[in-house]
Amino acid sequence: MTGLSLERTIELPDMVAYAGATWDWHRLHYDSAWLAERGLPAPVVDGQLFGALLAEMVLDWAGPGAELTALSFRFKSLVHAGETVRCTGRVVGTDGDLVSIECGVEVVGERARVAVAPAAAEVRRP
Amino acid sequence: MTLLTDEVRALVGRSRTYTAPEPLGRASIRYFALATGDDDPRHLAGDVAPPTLVCETNQFTGLPRDENGYAGHGWHLHIPGTREVRGGNSYRFHQPVRPDDVVTATWTVTDVAERTTGSGAGMVVVTSLATYTNQAGDLLVENEETLIYVEVAR
Repeated sequence: MTGLSLERTIELPDMVAYAGATWDWHRLHYDSAWLAERGLPAPVVDGQLFGALLAEMVLDWAGPGAELTALSFRFKSLVHAGETVRCTGRVVGTDGDLVSIECGVEVVGERARVAVAPAAAEVRRP
Repeated sequence: MTLLTDEVRALVGRSRTYTAPEPLGRASIRYFALATGDDDPRHLAGDVAPPTLVCETNQFTGLPRDENGYAGHGWHLHIPGTREVRGGNSYRFHQPVRPDDVVTATWTVTDVAERTTGSGAGMVVVTSLATYTNQAGDLLVENEETLIYVEVAR
């Protein structure tokens, strides 16, 4: 089995940059007063960011010229500003130049928990 | 009492289309790469878009912000006694998105279903399919998304 891994700490400025880059200005991602009114302890990371990180992890592993052909993921828990996530993957099959990878995203640190599962990717290697 | 009312069932088949007013552009690609910590030279140069960028781009130009600041696509569904949570996404990438692509996104509700959570609460699962094409009509990406409306304790 081949292991894939990518770890990233997501600070509030990262989230603001992501919100701007993706046209998603929802207060959930930055507005502390709005969050406090709803009982949320800190800004919530946009779940689509985990899709971007999984894609990055898989393409980094697959090497130059590789193309991601499929990616799926289900959200399990919210991730908050300042937390560190670890994306992982393992190869579970190959079919010609296509490689199937089982993935996941977990929060590491004091409040360790699963953020995304199950998740899967398929990549075409040159 | 069922959460799956006639109003909710009527969502199936509802469709919305959003077309960007200009090409995606290298700056948008580079900005996304920088925001996600992506060090792929093709992405940082803006030559080709990171795979999931296509789902949220200038296709949303001109949409009004709602009371929460959100200005993207939504079905604006309110099911009394529930809260909305995101279920997940399933992408198929048909061809890379490039800076000169003018993206059109077409969202369609494909299914609504009533389920029960592990703790016995009712929920409605709304499944939508988004297709992304360019100005030549080429299919770029498909994105199936699930939104879940979970019954909250009263």
